[in-house]
Amino acid sequence: MHSRKGLTITGILVAAMVLAACGQAATPTAAPPPEATAPPAAPTQPAAEEPVALKVYVVDYTADSTDTWLEDEVVPAFQAMHPNVTVEFIWGSWSTFGETVAGYFAAGEGPDIINLGSEFNGLYGDQLAPLNDKLGPAAWPEISKFIPGTLENASWDGELRGLPIFSAPRYVFCRTDLMPAGFDKQPTDFAGWVDFAKKATVIDPATNSLTQQGFVPVDAGTMADFQWYLNTIWSIGGSIYKDDGVTPNFDSAEADAAIQFNYDMKRAVYPDDTVGALPAGTGSVIEEGNGAVCLWHSGWAAPAPDSAVWSKVDIQAFSGDPTNFPNSKPIVLSFVDWWAVPAYSPNIDMTAEFLKFVFNQENNHRYNETMNLIPARADAHTGYVVDNPVLQREAELASQYSYGFAGILEPTQLQSILQTQLGLYLTDQQDKATTLSNIQEQYTQVLKDSGNLP
Amino acid sequence: MATVKDNPYLYTLVTSLATVIFIAASCAALGWLAKTIVRRAGGSQRRQEEAQAGYFFAAPWIVGFLIFVVAPMLASLYWSLTNYRLGDPPQWVGLQNYARLLFEDREFRGSLVNTLFLTLVGLPLQIGVALLLAVLLNQKLRGERSFRATFYLPVLLGFNAAVLLCWRLMLNASNGIIDQVIRSLSRAFPAFSYLNRGLIYVVEVVNGFFLGLTNGNYTLLEKVLATGFPPENRVPMWIQNPLWSKMAVILLMVWICGSMMLIFLAGLQAVPKELIEAAEVDGASGWKRFWRITFPLLTPYVFYNLVIGMIAALQIFEPVYVLYRDNQPLAPSAYSMVYYLYQATFRFNTIGYGSAISWLVLVIIAVASFFQFRLQSRWVEYEIH
Repeated sequence: MHSRKGLTITGILVAAMVLAACGQAATPTAAPPPEATAPPAAPTQPAAEEPVALKVYVVDYTADSTDTWLEDEVVPAFQAMHPNVTVEFIWGSWSTFGETVAGYFAAGEGPDIINLGSEFNGLYGDQLAPLNDKLGPAAWPEISKFIPGTLENASWDGELRGLPIFSAPRYVFCRTDLMPAGFDKQPTDFAGWVDFAKKATVIDPATNSLTQQGFVPVDAGTMADFQWYLNTIWSIGGSIYKDDGVTPNFDSAEADAAIQFNYDMKRAVYPDDTVGALPAGTGSVIEEGNGAVCLWHSGWAAPAPDSAVWSKVDIQAFSGDPTNFPNSKPIVLSFVDWWAVPAYSPNIDMTAEFLKFVFNQENNHRYNETMNLIPARADAHTGYVVDNPVLQREAELASQYSYGFAGILEPTQLQSILQTQLGLYLTDQQDKATTLSNIQEQYTQVLKDSGNLP
Repeated sequence: MATVKDNPYLYTLVTSLATVIFIAASCAALGWLAKTIVRRAGGSQRRQEEAQAGYFFAAPWIVGFLIFVVAPMLASLYWSLTNYRLGDPPQWVGLQNYARLLFEDREFRGSLVNTLFLTLVGLPLQIGVALLLAVLLNQKLRGERSFRATFYLPVLLGFNAAVLLCWRLMLNASNGIIDQVIRSLSRAFPAFSYLNRGLIYVVEVVNGFFLGLTNGNYTLLEKVLATGFPPENRVPMWIQNPLWSKMAVILLMVWICGSMMLIFLAGLQAVPKELIEAAEVDGASGWKRFWRITFPLLTPYVFYNLVIGMIAALQIFEPVYVLYRDNQPLAPSAYSMVYYLYQATFRFNTIGYGSAISWLVLVIIAVASFFQFRLQSRWVEYEIH
């Protein structure tokens, strides 16, 4: 009786094991938060011929053609050179990007390459592998072909931490056919822009909503975008940190003038907050019928390069306010998505080799061609970049006026502080002095909490 | 030297074997422990065996509860007493996180005010609409099953991202369908136009007051009062204006009241028909029959919906996240305590601070639920007198 019972239990256990083994391969469970302080010690690198499995986390903002090209062409070509290496892509999304990537670093394990956005070098820089010895000029001369501004985004504390994919600068795109009377080109100072925005905006009295919007700084509805605000500061020669490079500088004249300009632009378009925004549409806001006259954004938000509307679009850098700030300079704020190498990776050597392969001239060109973006490598500005006058113009402006959106301490928290305070100020919920004071005070506290300030 | 980890199939087999052995061992251990306790308490052999069998089969759930609920809760409690940021080890700070939340963090106080607004305004509306729908469905109408399914459909769809993105389009002040309908009705019926504008005025005054509480200044309220009665071309500014951001969330709360509606419907159908008929014979009007007979008998169901609804309202997250995640300037006028928790933990990586927020939310919900249960005896009728 007992032996039969025992046999039955044993049989059930064996069946359970077989069934479980037939399922998918187990994914590594997240380890509990590490007790040791960051950064972790560099893992031991595998020997030359041992099998190496590289995992690459890429955000799925890229077109399907990009995914196909990476998996069907790039990976086989690399594996032909390194037969002991397998490469697996993990496709993520921006909506869960922050939490997913934070989880990798918290667990101390994950992909060998992580696709990061522009400002993330400040957030994760200390936890990324230093790569100057592998990708610096002495080890890889091709690094000099990259646009310098783009390499700033992929660096931290004097070390390269990955390689930039593309440069997505923010330009001012304006519909020349919709410019108001008295304007035959884009304004070049703050007062000119406010006047332009007011005259170019049309409100339908029947619906109390916009039918034409003079200026769209990223977001058409609120016009309170923190990147637009920082761009404004930098365009008039300001800085978000004082001379020590750490203390916030939002009590400066430039910060004050920039926020005032953002407010004036908002009120030039929306006299008050009872006016409805442009109707929701598809495609770029400056595309035919979508209602915007000027847009400050990257190529993502602009019409497709082959759109007929481009014959009526003027592209410029944002010129700042030379009338009142002599240090003003035209800038195209450069956002750079890049592939970063976490310090926890056990395959840093081979990862660096993979980066060199994906980011060689031909592949960087091809990668960006699938997305119609400007390659981070200047020598990859060929073919579609120069054949298309729009992209050629964008590349010229980027080369001349690129200003890296990088080197920001605690960028996520600064973004939140700025968006909140800008939102309060631009909707008349608080005055300018209180807004700037709150930004200065809260950001200073954030930097103290993170140890950047004493 | 190759290890088990190098072979994914072997790794899976070993992991599975270890998991099964762990489950079996924990079942046996818990059963043995229960038997031992009963034996030491002087229980008979039969009671010992019953205890052993009972806990043996309940063990998988108990162990799972301990590992996946209790352990993380205790870890969270510990982290809430530390300055724990991603990449750095936790540093003990005691109650500093809680003190900062309660006495220094204006944004948390703002999220608390927003959540209370959603609860105090949104929940009664949600319950009221659910009750109204249930009363309508309780009439014997043709197609009542179809209506019932239709009103319950939002619950099935839920607050998933696709649905909420559709809502973002529908709530556009210019060409969103909701404001288009309001405009059309306002043009066709002057009385509706006055009603619409009156409601707009009331909503903006109330929200202006709450925003003043949050921000410490009443500029928007003053502007609304100075502007006076809205002009004819005004429509609600749902997700575009801080005076309307919470109302958009409340609209979604009301839209998803299907579960409450079904609870009320069950309650209505449990009301003894004899009582209603007797009242009808005595000449009571429909209104009186509802308020004197039906509603008192519905109070247990109202109480249930109130408790569940309040817990849900105090923890509201998805509508706020999808409607305002990409609209940061407007987010402070709408974000709830749980959204603030998400922001602190997963965007700012201040895990200790986020843990403190989660425990504070738990305390608030527990206190509110406690008072609800204490006060129920004053108004909930469980028996027919």
